Amino acid sequence: MKRVIRFNLNGEDIEAYAPENMTILDFLRKEMHLTGTKRGCEEGECGACTIMLDGKPIAACLMLAVEADGHSVVTIEGIMRGGRLHPVQQEFIDKWALQCGFCTPGMILSAIALLEHNPQPSEYEIRDAIAGNLCRCTGYAKIVEAIASAAEVLRKGA
Amino acid sequence: MALTSKEYYAEIEKVYKKPEDYELAGKGNGYVRVDAEAKVTGRALYTDDIDLPGMYYCKLVRSPYAHARILSIDCSEALALPGVKAVLTGKDFPEGHNLGNPEAFKELADKEPLCREKVRMVGDEVAAVCAISEELAEEASSLVKVEYEVLPAVIDPFEAMAQDAPAVHYPDTNNISMYTTMVAGEPDKAFAEADYTDKYYYKTQQMVHAAIEPHGATAKYENGEFTIWTTTQGAYVSRFWIAWGLGVPESAVRVIKPSLGGGFGGKLDAFAHELCPAKFAQITGHPVKCILKRDEVFLGTRTRHPIAFEIETAFTKEGKLLAKRCKHVLDGGAYGGSGIAANALSLICATFPYKVDNIDMTARRPYTNKPASGAMRGYSACQVHFAHDVHIDEVADALGIDPLELRRKNGITPYYTGPTGLQYTTCAFDETLAECANAVKWAARDELGEGEGIGLAGSGFMSGTGFPVLITPHYASSSTMVRLNREGYATVFTGANDIGQGSDTVMTMVVAEELGLRMDEVKCVQSDTTLTPWDAGSFGSRVTFLGGNAARRAVGDAKLKLLSHWADEWGCRPEDISMKDHRVFAGGDAEKNISFSEACFGYEEKNFGRCVSGVGSFAHEGDKDIYVKNRGNYAPAYSFSASAAKVKVDLETGEIDVQDFIFGHDCGRPLNIRAVEGQIEGSVLLGLGFTCFEECLYGEDGRHRNPTFRDYRFPTALDMPSIKSITCGQPDPEGPMGAKEAGEGSTAPVGPAIGIAINRATGLKFHSLPITSEKIWRALKEHEATGRVHFGDEGLAEKFAAVPQMRNVRHESTD
Repeated sequence: MKRVIRFNLNGEDIEAYAPENMTILDFLRKEMHLTGTKRGCEEGECGACTIMLDGKPIAACLMLAVEADGHSVVTIEGIMRGGRLHPVQQEFIDKWALQCGFCTPGMILSAIALLEHNPQPSEYEIRDAIAGNLCRCTGYAKIVEAIASAAEVLRKGA
Repeated sequence: MALTSKEYYAEIEKVYKKPEDYELAGKGNGYVRVDAEAKVTGRALYTDDIDLPGMYYCKLVRSPYAHARILSIDCSEALALPGVKAVLTGKDFPEGHNLGNPEAFKELADKEPLCREKVRMVGDEVAAVCAISEELAEEASSLVKVEYEVLPAVIDPFEAMAQDAPAVHYPDTNNISMYTTMVAGEPDKAFAEADYTDKYYYKTQQMVHAAIEPHGATAKYENGEFTIWTTTQGAYVSRFWIAWGLGVPESAVRVIKPSLGGGFGGKLDAFAHELCPAKFAQITGHPVKCILKRDEVFLGTRTRHPIAFEIETAFTKEGKLLAKRCKHVLDGGAYGGSGIAANALSLICATFPYKVDNIDMTARRPYTNKPASGAMRGYSACQVHFAHDVHIDEVADALGIDPLELRRKNGITPYYTGPTGLQYTTCAFDETLAECANAVKWAARDELGEGEGIGLAGSGFMSGTGFPVLITPHYASSSTMVRLNREGYATVFTGANDIGQGSDTVMTMVVAEELGLRMDEVKCVQSDTTLTPWDAGSFGSRVTFLGGNAARRAVGDAKLKLLSHWADEWGCRPEDISMKDHRVFAGGDAEKNISFSEACFGYEEKNFGRCVSGVGSFAHEGDKDIYVKNRGNYAPAYSFSASAAKVKVDLETGEIDVQDFIFGHDCGRPLNIRAVEGQIEGSVLLGLGFTCFEECLYGEDGRHRNPTFRDYRFPTALDMPSIKSITCGQPDPEGPMGAKEAGEGSTAPVGPAIGIAINRATGLKFHSLPITSEKIWRALKEHEATGRVHFGDEGLAEKFAAVPQMRNVRHESTD
């Protein structure tokens, strides 16, 4: 069965026809063709499918698409403004905070969610905020560095 | 005497940029990864992101039993489900065309694309279904009725070698898939004359790669050609095995590696999830996708070999290592594949980073009814260096010598030749030890508090293995083509497979550096068997070394053509001309220069419109037989590493806190320091997971007990210590712009450093991995009650005593 849902996706109010048993992860990837949200484990453990629901990071594999009805969803495709990279994205590039890149979209959304409510996080708070995003390549060191640096850029209002 | 490749390319080397003129190589953070923006925006396309019109989906049917005979397979109910398009079983693939790893052993390859008569592990693939959606394919897979006769399973590698053990593959072979020996010098004499001899036992566990991207493939069939986008570490090797498994010529198969979400060795083998969608695409005329679920990745791909060790050493009382005897038993799991190299690698790794002239070593790789073991980052080295380096610490204690001094006394030195012919080039092992010791305050280690300990360990690794996976004219080579475009840019066509480590960036940088172009003026075309030249794949720390050298020779070839033309025009020598800032300068005359585009245009004008292009290849000039004879040089260079870990163990709870981690790595000239640090930091994560967290657990029935990221835990951002990376050593004369490997060797000393630190912190001796907090807590309790000190080597002496002599060995390599 499918149902019409209305929600805000990446800043735009949309109407969509969603299968009732489809996760929002599959809905975003298959129906909306937004493949930046990754399928890593589909059991809420790896964080590769992290999206923001009403500003909070969640695992898209654990939520049904129809549950987005009336809410706001932001994916990695929705964080650039006017064609410019978000400072967190820019710092991930500049600090070499990625390797294979598969965890990167989810990692960046967790970081943005953190910085939106905590503009000056300690190293521990950064590590805690991304503890649900598994990375097998980087050892997290440069990711933590990039997020701290992005926090500074954002504080300076760049 | 045949011309060596170095002599062949000598002409080209004249126009190589001099190290003092490098603007990109080794110059820190002056540029970014070429794939970084695509990855931070979510635009990079991975295999699962490739969506083609009319896509169908494939799901594999897997065995629930560790060992069973297939009596019948009934697909009628699955086929009757609306939306199901086709099914496949083992009979749909040509018999005898099994999947393996080295082409030279393809007749001995042991993995059927889909099992015909027997399943050998839980998760073995017996059938495949194709449907119009993933959900329907999943539903249909549960409707395939397979009737099994369950057979006794062998789970333990020692039990597998017993005379009466059930045969996983071949009867009367003690289930040995591979037996390897390595002998040199006069070990018996050295043992007889030594002041000190010993015998210890160690054991490591089964670990998995756990790349965040699951394995998968998307296939289409058009004009008689299969195109397969797949999660591979080597497009050409995948192409060979897919073609072989399908029974079609390699010219009918195109393999493309899209962005890859991590490999770590787990994506080197060929799999049913690649062949089945290809076959379905041919049958249905639709593109077909097959992406594994996480538990399927655990069950049906590859793991790191668990290894049990018996190690005997002979030393003088002053601490000189005279001889080593050892036996390695590697749990091979159900199949060979990339796993058959593990034996030889385990023995080779046991001959460094310490000099030892007299050796007597064997390795046995029995089959068991568990997921197949294969290559994993720091292949065999992580296990071997854990056992052999923890052992060095025990020797130091027994001899009353400072463990750092014992290591420095025996460490390999530059241009040393090993007992079986390994030829080392640059070597800064001693420097890595000294730097780590200094940074971790080794000299003040007696001042540590209760429950604190420092561990120091060393390791080495081959830099650019020559393992000949496929038979090529110049074996295990990397090839590259470069085209200079008169519109002001260059294109590099590299067979190197970027699996996340950043090889596309390395190849782009090498070409940009030589041509004086910016990074964004070099386009990189990579790993596509139709577009890019031959490359053996990303393994054995070969990509920067072999691929980087190949890229440099290719761009050098093009550069020599271009500069020779302008040398004629300007009346000078090619080597007098330099390329910098998008311009070409005549030597000694700063006024005489033209743009890169003008230079290319002028060349084309004189050459009937032909573009400036170059071809280059690089291969280790070794003996093809090294893997059979275990003699000779294995790689063009070797990297060396040391690690120091400071841990604090809560002696009440066993909780481990790695407070500090120092890594010293000799990788020649680091081409990009951020990339090298990234490799080291990632290595520490894998090493910490290996040492304190990760283990695949099995029941007696061979069922995997923890095939999820919930139950198979590896370090999160909160678990990682701060890491200080120190690069040591000098540019290597063989390496591209002086570089050696920095991806795999860096994993090897992490385990022993942390293990030793825990031993020092607790006063106990842990001989097996993982050393979890629970194990420490239990050991501390037992120590309190009984005074026992050694843990984790229980029963190994008896097991090794019962290891059978070899006979009827199918894969044998011995000298």
